[in-house]
Amino acid sequence: MTTPPNRCLILACGNTLREDDGVGPWLADWAQEHFGNQPEIRVLSRHQWTPDLVEDIAAVQSVLFIDCTIDSAPGQVILAPVEPASAMPRMLTHHLNASDLLALSRDLYGSQPRHARLLSVGAASLHIHEGLSDVVTASLPKAISCIETTLQSWLQGC
Amino acid sequence: MSQTITIDPVTRLEGHGKITIQLNAQGEVQDAHFHVTQVRGFERFSEGRPFYEMPSLMARICGICPVSHLIASAKACEAIMSVRIPHTAAQLRRMLNLAQMVQSHALSFFYLSSPDLLLGMDADPKVRHIFGVVEARPELGRAGVALRRFGQHIIELLGDKRIHPGWVIPGGVTEPLTPAKRDEILGMIPEAYANIKLALSWYKQIADSFKPEVEVFANFPSLFLGLINEDESVEFTDGALRLISATGNILADGITAQEFTQVIGEAVEPYSYTKFAYYKPLGYPDGSYRVGPLARLNIAKSMGTPLADAELVEFKQLASGPVQGSFYYHHARLIDILYGIEKIEQILSDPLILDKHVRATAGVNRLEGAGQAEAPRGTLMHNYKVDENGKITWANLVIATGQNNNAMNRGVLQAARHYIKDGKFSEGILNRVEAVVRTFDPCLSCSTHALGQMPLHLSLVSADGKVIDQAIR
Repeated sequence: MTTPPNRCLILACGNTLREDDGVGPWLADWAQEHFGNQPEIRVLSRHQWTPDLVEDIAAVQSVLFIDCTIDSAPGQVILAPVEPASAMPRMLTHHLNASDLLALSRDLYGSQPRHARLLSVGAASLHIHEGLSDVVTASLPKAISCIETTLQSWLQGC
Repeated sequence: MSQTITIDPVTRLEGHGKITIQLNAQGEVQDAHFHVTQVRGFERFSEGRPFYEMPSLMARICGICPVSHLIASAKACEAIMSVRIPHTAAQLRRMLNLAQMVQSHALSFFYLSSPDLLLGMDADPKVRHIFGVVEARPELGRAGVALRRFGQHIIELLGDKRIHPGWVIPGGVTEPLTPAKRDEILGMIPEAYANIKLALSWYKQIADSFKPEVEVFANFPSLFLGLINEDESVEFTDGALRLISATGNILADGITAQEFTQVIGEAVEPYSYTKFAYYKPLGYPDGSYRVGPLARLNIAKSMGTPLADAELVEFKQLASGPVQGSFYYHHARLIDILYGIEKIEQILSDPLILDKHVRATAGVNRLEGAGQAEAPRGTLMHNYKVDENGKITWANLVIATGQNNNAMNRGVLQAARHYIKDGKFSEGILNRVEAVVRTFDPCLSCSTHALGQMPLHLSLVSADGKVIDQAIR
């Protein structure tokens, strides 16, 4: 019996030792708990997004990236489409962003997901500390709702 | 008037370093240094911790080669416990260490160095990176990504995490291997073979075009050190140390971890946070030596696996004695990868590999212990002292990058003197000087933890060049 291919990939990034940077892993844990038994969905959580993840991305129809950001207001949840980067970074060892990964997927494997979105949560604090700040904790229901509706629409083929 | 050229930071390395090249009034290179500018402090802040915490603490030194630190640290702890770990645990650790070597070498060769090798040392820096490689030779890019993934996935399967797996503990490993995981790893082997064969074939096609670089990229006689088995084959996880001279004579052999410090000393230089290891009988710097892929192949008589053995025969034809050119670290790295894949396949066919006895237990039976292993970049040694309660009272780590430190500095000077004439240099020349350092694949995160042991010289210099204050400690 062969394993059915995953249609959707949830790919989170973050460090749980740096306070709100842990929001990605937190949401990945939540997704694994709620969708982990669905063969169409795969959840991965990493400290960094590295090039070896590209093969996983190239193999799915939809990818939802989850990360924290310092470019938004603390606790602000934004769900936005992601396009492949037009220019790649010069350095490549430790970390790529969602656009870089999509571009690398296209260039290396000639394949990229039909749907790609980035769910970002604005960080209030990135100090060395385990646990999320109050403002980011308060934003979790909205982030969870984004994950649920996004996956639902992708799995229904919308 | 003298002039100093600074390359800061040196790119495509693990960590942050700086190179300074000092020119004299005639514009000739007078001196050159590779500076490691980070400082860590792991040896000091481990003091007071229970010894059994050391593997997981020490693994945090590095996100690229945490497995080597886990293994060397666990072995040091086992020396304190006076235990011999079960055969299956030793085999599983060996496989984990080899998987890490494969993924780390893939990072070094494909991500960091292949842009120079494929696109040329003088290529526009805007395209001289891994994405340039992907564009020019996508199959090579895919091979690099896949080999790194191969190693990382084995680490994840065995240790449950790609980075800082907690599976290796003093006494063995926490969990035995399951049949499903064994079969999954075996299923990845054919693709890994295809990828490394592609890389080796490609490297051999382009290697001749780098003969000028071979001549001046840290190409000089030196000693070589590494682990080998009793049958003189390459070993990454157990075995004992062999040190050979520049002509291939064995200077020291069968050195155990407990004997390491009797043979190897560490010097400090004011311009780097990384220590400089040397062979004590010859003193510093005459006793400086090289470790890592080139050293492993130079000290061993065989790899111990058929495909890698065939490659080793070809490799040894590059010179009548030990291969001295550090450019050949790249070639040796690919042979290491091939060996790693073969050895992992061999280990998985061990009839005891699924055995459930994977851990020995004991308390403190000695007040000092040392462990050694081959990290991707070379030999790694951990040495601890504990009190009667097992709390660490002293720790010392001798890291591959520190052992290659003198050779890297000599190599930078050699290349700078060759390429820089009349004070004139181009971007391509500076890239070549950097590329000398990249052949060693130094891991600066690992190598910098000598805070409190090295002299620091701080000079306050006025605008007209006069030293108006200084502090030395």
